[in-house]
Amino acid sequence: MTGASDEILLDVENVSLSFGGVRAITDVSFDIRRGEIRAIIGPNGAGKTSMLNVINGFYHPQEGRITYRGRTRARMKPHEAARQGVARTFQNVALFKGMTTLDNIMTGRSLRMKRGLFWQALRHGPALAEEIEHRRVCEEIIDFLEIEHIRRTPVGALPYGLQKRVELGRALAMEPELLLLDEPMAGMNLEEKEDMSRFIVEAKLQRGMTVALIEHDIGVVMDLSDRVLVLEYGRRIADDVPDVVKADPKVIDAYLGVGH
Amino acid sequence: MGSARADGGASDTFAKLLRGHAAARGDRPAFRHKDFGLWQTWTWAQVYQETRAIAAGLVALGLGRGETMAIVGGNRPKLYWSITAAQMIGAVPAPFYADAVADELANLLEHSEATVIVAQDQEQVDKILSVRDRLPRVRAILYDEPRGLADYDDPGLVALEAVMSKGRAALAEGAAAADLDRRIDEGKGSDASVMLYTSGTTGRSKGVVLSAERSIAAATDTVAFDRLTDRDEVLAYLPLAWVGDHYLNYAQGYVAGFCMACPESADTAANDLREIGPTYHFAPPRVFEALLTRVQIRMEDASAVKKWLYRHFMDVAKRWGEKIANGEAVPLSARIAYGLGELVIYAPLKNALGFSRIRVAYTAGEAIGAELFAFYRSIGLNLKQLYGQTEAFLFVTAQADRAVRSDAVGPPAPHVDLRIAPDGEVQFKSPGQFVGYFREPEKTAEALTPDGYVKTGDAGYFEPDGQLKIVDRAADVGRLVDGQLFAPKYIENKLKFFPNIREAVALGDGRDFVTAMINIELASVGNWAERNNVSYASYQELAGHPRVYDMIETHVDAVNRALAAEPMMAGAQIRRFLILPKELDADDGELTRTQKVRRRFIAERYAPLIDGLYGGAAEASISAEITYEDGRKGKLAGTSRIVDAKPHPRAQGARAA
Repeated sequence: MTGASDEILLDVENVSLSFGGVRAITDVSFDIRRGEIRAIIGPNGAGKTSMLNVINGFYHPQEGRITYRGRTRARMKPHEAARQGVARTFQNVALFKGMTTLDNIMTGRSLRMKRGLFWQALRHGPALAEEIEHRRVCEEIIDFLEIEHIRRTPVGALPYGLQKRVELGRALAMEPELLLLDEPMAGMNLEEKEDMSRFIVEAKLQRGMTVALIEHDIGVVMDLSDRVLVLEYGRRIADDVPDVVKADPKVIDAYLGVGH
Repeated sequence: MGSARADGGASDTFAKLLRGHAAARGDRPAFRHKDFGLWQTWTWAQVYQETRAIAAGLVALGLGRGETMAIVGGNRPKLYWSITAAQMIGAVPAPFYADAVADELANLLEHSEATVIVAQDQEQVDKILSVRDRLPRVRAILYDEPRGLADYDDPGLVALEAVMSKGRAALAEGAAAADLDRRIDEGKGSDASVMLYTSGTTGRSKGVVLSAERSIAAATDTVAFDRLTDRDEVLAYLPLAWVGDHYLNYAQGYVAGFCMACPESADTAANDLREIGPTYHFAPPRVFEALLTRVQIRMEDASAVKKWLYRHFMDVAKRWGEKIANGEAVPLSARIAYGLGELVIYAPLKNALGFSRIRVAYTAGEAIGAELFAFYRSIGLNLKQLYGQTEAFLFVTAQADRAVRSDAVGPPAPHVDLRIAPDGEVQFKSPGQFVGYFREPEKTAEALTPDGYVKTGDAGYFEPDGQLKIVDRAADVGRLVDGQLFAPKYIENKLKFFPNIREAVALGDGRDFVTAMINIELASVGNWAERNNVSYASYQELAGHPRVYDMIETHVDAVNRALAAEPMMAGAQIRRFLILPKELDADDGELTRTQKVRRRFIAERYAPLIDGLYGGAAEASISAEITYEDGRKGKLAGTSRIVDAKPHPRAQGARAA
């Protein structure tokens, strides 16, 4: 894959995270370069989702440092992360089920809306101009994700694969610098996976987004990613380009069990 | 009304028609396209300028007179304009089905000798690039939608927009503009105007070449026949490569000067139809059937009051609607009841379907069920039938307003000379008649009689009122061992009129009796299953369910009863049938791209099931490896129960509807 620069967008150094006595992440370091697709894989309970939650500020690691866009941060809340250009999707789709596709994607624009609630409610003057601009951005995303036909459909009525797509749309609407995807292809059929892969690659190539994703489908991960971080029991066991990771005996052990 | 032809100046080519519209009605809308959720509109003057830009760009690419330019994609304004642009400079545009797989497309592109291809998007470009080594003549591939194509550096691949800006720059200098004007003027009515590939129902697709003057003559006749004007509007959603789209939308649109609206995507067409509210519309019977099924399913879920209103006023419509539509005398009370129904049910229903403004609607391609046809006619939709062919440039027969029936396709269209050959084949000469098949003079000769009539390959006869009735493909009409006439499509159509049956294949030529293989319609049978607590996990499971079999058996029985009532067909009743474990699909080669059954192919693939039907078995299994058109292999496996159907005694005299 091309498109990645050498600039480090996010640097995770020696991070450890525990809940009570349970260690979720132990001394993990890795970095994400601007413009790359970075996969985090590992068996169940390896700490992948915890790592995403650390990155977007939902969890606060007990040890270690996280440097994002050159600034080392101590504590950060998710909405601050969002303000700084980090968007994410969830393992279990988290959308407003009663709202339409378009409205759900529009919610992704809320951080970028400048006018107050009062003017928005009046829908007049600058607030209207702003709404039109946001709508334009959302329509571009709808076009990009090929979901024109469900624009006005409440997302609760959509099949799961499309809901995943809408969720990606909402994340894209934030125009993030770093896009975190938690199992974007879980529960999808082959065609839906191919579509989703295409959208992720396009988001990187055309929209210049940096993507970090967790995924169980190893085939998809290896095709899609520039670099792959492998976790097991909260520790880093490998971190390299897909071809090297694929051949790493430790990774094979982790996935197939020792003594395969 | 005033078509472009009345506005002075020659209008024997589509480029000249466009120039005429730009001058006569430059501010009128010509094209619309929904993009980013909004309808964008181009006037005739704008379309003329855009088309000139494409044409000048094509000249710069070296596209010359007589060369073929392929168009691969859906209904996009720029693809339509590319067609006119090619016509402007004397090249021959050839649209291709966008859903054709790479290999199929490569064969046709190769045959068409196209040197320039205009593709809609990445999907089409990928397909073309994957077979490019088989297309040595192709110099340039232009694409309309750049998404996903930024990184491609294949030689000759260029954005249509880039070609247009080059064209615009050249036109700004004057010399190129004068050159283009000269090219438009040089265009002759006898030039090949377009090449349309047939759908390939009976063998390989052939490139039907149509001339400009004949195309325009045919379109002019029918524009006058249906009184189409520049105030009309259509939704251009039919496949670009199909004669129906090129005729009903493009040719008639350019003759009458009406507006063509292109849907946002194929998936949104139903919604776009509602938003546009066309005044002139075409849809195959299948689409009307799917719409009706949807209405009926919705009504099942409606409240009791709405259900009652619907039933009550549909009864009124059934009784009086068609009579009122046909201008017959009806009592005042009936008019009042119908008027009330219009207010409460028909108008809202038509609005929900996007049919509110329709003045003229046509259906063709397959036989349409009497009840289905009557439903739309009775709620006040001016739905009519036509019979057409690519070789005729569509219209062979068409029903006039107020002389409409479901079981025939109308008298000959204006200036069409129609006759029935002694063997029952329908033959015609028409104003839009094709020039010939591209690169296949022997096939052209085969398609014509010595005295110049086109052989349709359809068997039919004239009804007493002068309307043509088509029975089947002449080649498909066969006989049972005892000599009984066997018209498979006639039987299949009777089966398919039941909403629960999607497809049917009747067998019997050279056999002792008639059998049928049936595909259930998942939408309506699935809905029925939901209502009746029948659980199923797959199409195959539902298709094999005993209660589904019972339901289909009653349909088969009804068909047999109808056949028994017809002296010619009584001996061709269905004796045994089965439900296919798999949906017939164009991707698997079982249907054509226009959804017609490929009989011989199916007979081969499903031979074990057919053996079961005629071998007296209680069930039959099939397990076969199938090769998809793109080379991938799949497995087809399943078991079908075979059911004996009871024949009805031959009726004396009485004719069932």
